[in-house]
Amino acid sequence: MSLFFIVALPFFGALLPGLMNAAGRAACAGVTFTVSLAAFIGLLTNLPSVLAGEVVMARVDWIPSLGLNFTLMLDGLGFFFALLILGIGLLIIAYARHYLSRDDNMGEFFTYLLLFQGAMVGIVLSDNVLLLLIFWELTSLSSFLLIGYWKHLPEGRQGARMALAVTGMGGLAMIGGMLILGQIAGSYDLSVILKNRDLIQADPLYVPALILILLGCFTKSAQFPFHFWLPHAMAAPTPVSAYLHSATMVKAGIFLMARMWPVLSGTPEWFTVVTTAGLATMVLGAVIALFKHDLKALLAFSTVSHLGLITMLLGTGTAFGAMAAMFHILNHATFKAALFMSAGIVDHEAHTRDIRRLGGLRRLMPVTFVIATLAALSMAGIPFLNGFLSKEMMLEEATHTVLFGVPWLVPALATFGSLFSAAYCFRLIGHVYLGPVRDDYPAKPHDPGSGLWLPPAILVVPVVAIGIAPFLAEPFVKLVTASVLGGEADVPKAYFKIWHGLVPALFLSVAAVVGGLLLMAVFNPLLRLWETTPRPEAKVIFEAIVEAAAWLSGKLIASLHNGAFTRYAAIGSVAIVAAGFHAWSTGTIALPTRTPQAAGPVPIAGWLMLVAATCGLVFLHRNRLLSLILIGIVGLMVSIGFVFFSAPDLAMTQFTVEVVTIILLLLALNFLPKRTPVESTVLRRVRDVGVAVAGGLATFALAYHYLLRDAVAPPISEFHLANSYKGGGGTNVVNVILVDFRGFDTYGEIIVLGIAALLIYALTETLLSGRVRARLLNRKPDQPQAGDMHPMMMVVLTRVIMPVVLMVGFYIFLRGHNEPGGGFIAGLIVSIAVVMQYMASGFAWASARLKYPYHGVIGAGVLIAGLTGIGSWFVSKPFLTSDFTYVRIPPFQEFELATAALFDLGVFLAVVGAVMLSLESFSRLARRENMPESEHPMDIDPSRDDPPPDEAGSAREAV
Amino acid sequence: MSADLTILLPEIVLAVYAMAALLFGVYTTKDKTAPMLTWGTAGIFAVLAFWIGFNGEGTNAALGGMFVDDGFSRFAKVVILISAAAVLVMSESYMAKRNLLRFEYPLLIALAATGMMVMVSAGDLIVLYMGLELQSLSLYVVASLRRDSVKSTEAGLKYFVLGALSSGLLLYGCSLTYGYAGTTMFEGVIAAANAEHISLGLLFGLVFIVAGLAFKVSAAPFHMWTPDVYEGSPTPVTAFFATAPKMAAMGLFARVVHDAFGNVTADWGQIVAFLSVASMFLGAVAAIGQRDIKRLMAYSSIAHMGFALMGLASGTAFGVQAMLVYMAIYVTMNVGTFAFILSMERDGQVVTDIGALNLYSKHEPLKALAVLILMFSLAGVPPLVGFFGKFYVLQAAVQADMAWLAVAGVIASVIGAFYYLRIVYYMYFGEETEALDPAMAPAQWVFLMASAAIMVFGVINLFGIEGPAVAAAAALVN
Repeated sequence: MSLFFIVALPFFGALLPGLMNAAGRAACAGVTFTVSLAAFIGLLTNLPSVLAGEVVMARVDWIPSLGLNFTLMLDGLGFFFALLILGIGLLIIAYARHYLSRDDNMGEFFTYLLLFQGAMVGIVLSDNVLLLLIFWELTSLSSFLLIGYWKHLPEGRQGARMALAVTGMGGLAMIGGMLILGQIAGSYDLSVILKNRDLIQADPLYVPALILILLGCFTKSAQFPFHFWLPHAMAAPTPVSAYLHSATMVKAGIFLMARMWPVLSGTPEWFTVVTTAGLATMVLGAVIALFKHDLKALLAFSTVSHLGLITMLLGTGTAFGAMAAMFHILNHATFKAALFMSAGIVDHEAHTRDIRRLGGLRRLMPVTFVIATLAALSMAGIPFLNGFLSKEMMLEEATHTVLFGVPWLVPALATFGSLFSAAYCFRLIGHVYLGPVRDDYPAKPHDPGSGLWLPPAILVVPVVAIGIAPFLAEPFVKLVTASVLGGEADVPKAYFKIWHGLVPALFLSVAAVVGGLLLMAVFNPLLRLWETTPRPEAKVIFEAIVEAAAWLSGKLIASLHNGAFTRYAAIGSVAIVAAGFHAWSTGTIALPTRTPQAAGPVPIAGWLMLVAATCGLVFLHRNRLLSLILIGIVGLMVSIGFVFFSAPDLAMTQFTVEVVTIILLLLALNFLPKRTPVESTVLRRVRDVGVAVAGGLATFALAYHYLLRDAVAPPISEFHLANSYKGGGGTNVVNVILVDFRGFDTYGEIIVLGIAALLIYALTETLLSGRVRARLLNRKPDQPQAGDMHPMMMVVLTRVIMPVVLMVGFYIFLRGHNEPGGGFIAGLIVSIAVVMQYMASGFAWASARLKYPYHGVIGAGVLIAGLTGIGSWFVSKPFLTSDFTYVRIPPFQEFELATAALFDLGVFLAVVGAVMLSLESFSRLARRENMPESEHPMDIDPSRDDPPPDEAGSAREAV
Repeated sequence: MSADLTILLPEIVLAVYAMAALLFGVYTTKDKTAPMLTWGTAGIFAVLAFWIGFNGEGTNAALGGMFVDDGFSRFAKVVILISAAAVLVMSESYMAKRNLLRFEYPLLIALAATGMMVMVSAGDLIVLYMGLELQSLSLYVVASLRRDSVKSTEAGLKYFVLGALSSGLLLYGCSLTYGYAGTTMFEGVIAAANAEHISLGLLFGLVFIVAGLAFKVSAAPFHMWTPDVYEGSPTPVTAFFATAPKMAAMGLFARVVHDAFGNVTADWGQIVAFLSVASMFLGAVAAIGQRDIKRLMAYSSIAHMGFALMGLASGTAFGVQAMLVYMAIYVTMNVGTFAFILSMERDGQVVTDIGALNLYSKHEPLKALAVLILMFSLAGVPPLVGFFGKFYVLQAAVQADMAWLAVAGVIASVIGAFYYLRIVYYMYFGEETEALDPAMAPAQWVFLMASAAIMVFGVINLFGIEGPAVAAAAALVN
């Protein structure tokens, strides 16, 4: 049968039990059994070619661009494992049919089981490492569902979580290893990878790949230090434990190590890591197993121990070790699955798995007794049973293995492990089956129906058969070993025999069994000693690690993301400076192309003022009014800086913008407390100083660097200088750019400006008509208001100055096209003139006299600019094409008339409207209830007979 | 000119629709039209996605190359539009229930989508900035859509201020690039930025542009806004943040580094690789201690962006392909996950604590299974589709001789798996707590199930997404 069918059958078959749930339990189990049987027979049809040494292949492209193909291969190793998976699977299905109670949802169970089976078969038949990975994680997923099948058990929950976390993470780590392996070999097909031993082992990435893959294997096969999850996963139903946690899933890691043996093994790294982990697991598992009272827990730790044994054998890297490992896998699968099933029978019949409450079952359950005893003795390594053979091969191998340069270490530890292993086997037989019959079993035990005891009985047949006649298994094990070795080493010549003569391994074996018996003799004192010895519980450690990780992460993140904006800004600034530094240090720094100008006394004075104002700002920033004034000085100096750089337009714009913003900020200060509270600690201020200095220095360095070097040649300004008069009719390049070259931008900008102003107006309106209105109007100023809010001097001065300023605005507007100036600056200047009136005489007084609706002014500006642009359509030119001509109207001199000026008028109006509308909106907010609306331009007017200002002031304070 | 307009037509249609609908909404019944507009906008997104997906062919440059319509932009646009449509549809009931469904919401999303479409088609620094700002400005507003909530307002404000900072940084980079390349067109920049001698000015431009873009994709260490904004914004807005804008920003990122700086891959490769590692680890480590699922998803998205950046860091066409596949998968997973998060409530109150998921499988086995699939997929566990995305980018890194990056990614994904698995653990084996409300809006249910189904059945051939991704990568990297 094609390999595809063998893999696909369980997957598609998985649908059936779920669907047939209503048809009854027998039907569910029956259909599951049939599906497995079909796959099993399909596998057997390939036996002849496998025996002939061929490798059966099947291939379909899946996602070729990733190197992921659905390629399957069947060689001796794959066949061996597939046989175990499907064969034991069949027995488990039959067993589970009788084991599960009436309340359990059988369809669900068998669906998960078949999914798992399919995934396992997929692992062992994959020829593509990526495909293998996929099946690998599928087993984690389906085993998660199987372990969690009995959701009501609390320990089941914990077990499922640990199993999932440990194996899932291991699988993810393996992705990296496989990726590197595939990259080195140039293909993700195992058949290719396995041929590239030298290439892979010589690659510098061999060690990371090895570690990542071993992480996957060790977690899956419960090797030290990841051994703790397996016993806790045993809360699952016994068929699951028997199938997943002894016969198949936990062997997946072993399988992969065997599969990768030809390419990964043989290096010191492999030997040290794998052998050590295996040895540690073997000893640790055996010792813990002896003192477990739960029958399944005992078996679970014994499984851990035996997996360690196999791992250790694979780790030695010798052909004999590999052969012993393969042989032990076969033996372990048979006796351990039988033991699990018999434990399940005990649990099922006696309703307890606690060894302390059992004993004497020999008389009550003779059939189970025979099965369990044979299997347990085999595990203990008693001759004429298969466990003896492979254990002796293991001890033989151990005597030749030198770890960490200590020749006795491995044999001693191996014997020590075997000794405990024998001891817990004897304990299992002695404390459960032998001894007197008790009268306090939770339920009256008796042998179950054949449905439950037949499957383990079938497994015990090979245990005895191989034990008596080892040559039966020899050709098959050697075939499997040959495919593990993959041509890297020859299959050892050693024959499978019960009697090898008086070799060291025999003595060790005898020592182990005798020692085990002795240990049992002193079991009770030992147990007391064990229970009083404090020992690290792996599960507790795992939980603690999880807790600690969560705590640590919480701490870390709380300090990183505490919600404070300043912290984010600090992190961002540091990151930006670091990025800049990276660019600086990796880039090639060209020599300066300009020489620094000598600084005259005026620039130095300006610079000193700038520095002084900035420093003053840093130290006085808690006083908001003062800092505002200092900001004004900074702005002024920057504006003068533009003059120094020969940019008068920018300077003028900056200057007027500064004035307007300071006025705006003054208005805003009205709503804010006078001083900023002290919140930051000294430490934080030190940090912030560091960040700020770093950022400032970086910016300085960058600016200095660019000022000394020419940018790309030729600079774009040359184009504008050459064309501004020819094309735009003006000699002021900045203004020509604004109204002509980039007139479209300007047009968009004035629209945005208008929208912004309208938005401020709308927001103010909403605020004043909303819930906060009362709060705004009734707020108390935190200091008494001046009695002389509209001082006479200021009123008189602004009135006198106003026509002058308007004239200046007009002048600036007109000269804009050729000299510094223009609509934008003019608009700001005129706005300042008007704002001064508001400031001098108060909002009510001024707005009563200024009748222009600012919305309309904005609209008019935009419209004029737009119409100017459209005008060019009438002479079939694109939008906003400007034109100019020279006219002479006596008695004036000849002057230029440009459409651009009309456009500039639009800009002017929009700016005036926008600035005034926003200021008006803000000052509307600033007004309060009970504020006297003066109808006079000034508070103290000598020409009026007013009450003295003091009274007015105190009257206001009383309110 | 008219040929140019034809190329720009989808964007024009969407922009005109948004503006017309805005006027319509303002002058008619305002918020009463909101449900209609929501569905209508989603419908238009879907139509545009089909239009762009099936109609586009070849590489077409409009406006003298400032706007490029090619396989790459089409791929990104289809992902953006479909995910935006999905988020709109599934958020409708949530917003309506909480009296948040203002008619501006779908229209702001539409404007943001327009900006995103412009972003991924940018062939010029100015166009890049224009698209980016249109998107960002719309997003600042939707982040603070729930005006009466302090958290939402704070989220919007933080996002705005940090966003403005990053925009400034980006602009600084753009102007340096312009200054030293003499042009804003990517074609011109790539000619100026040769591997032989990239001037310091261009290098600074590149670094600052990358830093600005890193902010937009929320890559560490420019990610600070993400958790707060995700947590503070209304959940549908969070869902939106986690999907379409990420694709757009990633698309723009790829565009800039390949179209404008494609000759100096070594210079930005390191920076992107650093961003990638930092994001993966920060996202993975930070999420461990989180109990708020929205914050958790924020860290998760930071980690995922790290993986997507890994594809980009490789600097190859395969890397771009990997990034695109990754993003498409990521967006699909997030749509499903957020469909579920949107439905999380108890007694009508929104719940975001993951403890509320305890034993969810007992009450809602089907939905729990769907979430399980999504969580496994997010963790990148084979055989779910999320694994393929992860594997793609890992492979891209390894092929580009960045095995260390791939190994770092694997380690980060191992750490990251922890918190996804914890959610699954809670759902299946948690302790008994008060159950979540079983009700779920039909649209949310559909998206949850569809997304989970895609994660399972997508393994067959990834729904043929590779073909377009290959074409897209080929269009970008040559």
